Amino acid sequence: LIRSEGAGGLAQWVLVELQGEVVPRQSGALAGSLLGDLHYTCEGVPVLIVGHHILYGKVVQLEKPFAVLVKQGAGEPGPAGPHTHYTVTALIKTKLLFKTRPKPIITNVPKKV
Amino acid sequence: SLVIRGEKDEQAVLCSKDKTYDMKIADTSNMLLFIPGCKTPEELNADQASCDIIHSQVAGFSNNYWELRRCRPKLKKLRKLLMEDPYEGPDSRKDQTLTFSKYTTEDLLSLIQASEEEILHQLHVIDACKIEGYWRVLEFDYEMKLLNHVTQLIDSESWSLSKVPLRTCLEELGSLEPREMIEHILLSYGRKYIDDGEVYFEMHEDKICRAIAQMLLQNAVKFNLSEFQEVWQQSVPEGMTARLDQLKGLALVDKTSRPETIFLLKVEDLPEDNQERFNSLFSIREKWTEVDITPYIQDLCAEKQTVGALLTKYARSSMQNGVKVYNSRRPIS
Repeated sequence: LIRSEGAGGLAQWVLVELQGEVVPRQSGALAGSLLGDLHYTCEGVPVLIVGHHILYGKVVQLEKPFAVLVKQGAGEPGPAGPHTHYTVTALIKTKLLFKTRPKPIITNVPKKV
Repeated sequence: SLVIRGEKDEQAVLCSKDKTYDMKIADTSNMLLFIPGCKTPEELNADQASCDIIHSQVAGFSNNYWELRRCRPKLKKLRKLLMEDPYEGPDSRKDQTLTFSKYTTEDLLSLIQASEEEILHQLHVIDACKIEGYWRVLEFDYEMKLLNHVTQLIDSESWSLSKVPLRTCLEELGSLEPREMIEHILLSYGRKYIDDGEVYFEMHEDKICRAIAQMLLQNAVKFNLSEFQEVWQQSVPEGMTARLDQLKGLALVDKTSRPETIFLLKVEDLPEDNQERFNSLFSIREKWTEVDITPYIQDLCAEKQTVGALLTKYARSSMQNGVKVYNSRRPIS
């Protein structure tokens, strides 16, 4: 794991891993849209509600943590320009893995006829 | 901070200040979303107070990520670059105004796939020095000329090999060679220390004997071993003992020829890649003992890897005359 020289700890982020793709409801952009609601049950099980689907997941401690890198000084390539380098801005040690099939939430169950 | 280094035809590596890592892109069919400040169940439990909604933003998402594996810095290129224009001394008739083959620290940082500390350490190992802002290695003949000045002076002054005074060397030799070069050769072949305010050098017997052996061996394809040993011992400074174990990674003895012979084989001339190195060694000699091959593969060992592990991976062992020998796993053309 690469250490940063920054004083104090690095920001800790969390990874959410979903199977498949996330697509915006209307054909808008993803940016700025609401993804969904994340809850935890009393037992610490993460629950994600996306649209009218519900997904159950689990908290996984990553064996190999991730570092989030931000590119700095992206100038012209070559000896004259500033050299590109990356700084570590955050670490991710935990992920919320959702790999079960999303279940549609049905609020109105028709009575048997 | 981290830097990615490599030219267009090289595999990219990621470098921190002192380490080098191979980079691979890993794909996943899953989608990875990263959420700053997102809390885990444990963190929320501790914070009993709120039942409010915490608005978090997804900072980004990705299908791939970089996987890093610590690797050996790729330093063979460093020697290759500096050997493009070795320094031949101030009297050299070479055109000194041609600077295109000279490299500053900045140049090396953008060309060599290794971290800054690993590069600076290697420059020290190969006895490079900075001349007019550029890193240079000495041309071997010039290096031997400088070494010879020093060893002759040690002899004529009857100094102890472990107490060679810098000041007197500069005084006596300063008219023959640049002072920086005299000091550089002392630093390359000795250990600097201070005694009573004066700077002295403890000369490295092994390194000096080794350099003299190289000087003798480079002039022929191979030598009769016993003749070589005799000439070599006569050539080293008074008080030094020439021993074959000083030549590990520099020369190889052929015990199968009658009479036994010795020839120059420098590890730094061999390929840097593991498989290519073994191929090259097995094409020079079909079967190697562990003792003979170790100096030629030692530098391939990764952190915590042993020579034995390398041999298990890249060679096949068998017994020959009661001795364990290693040969190639596949036929070598």
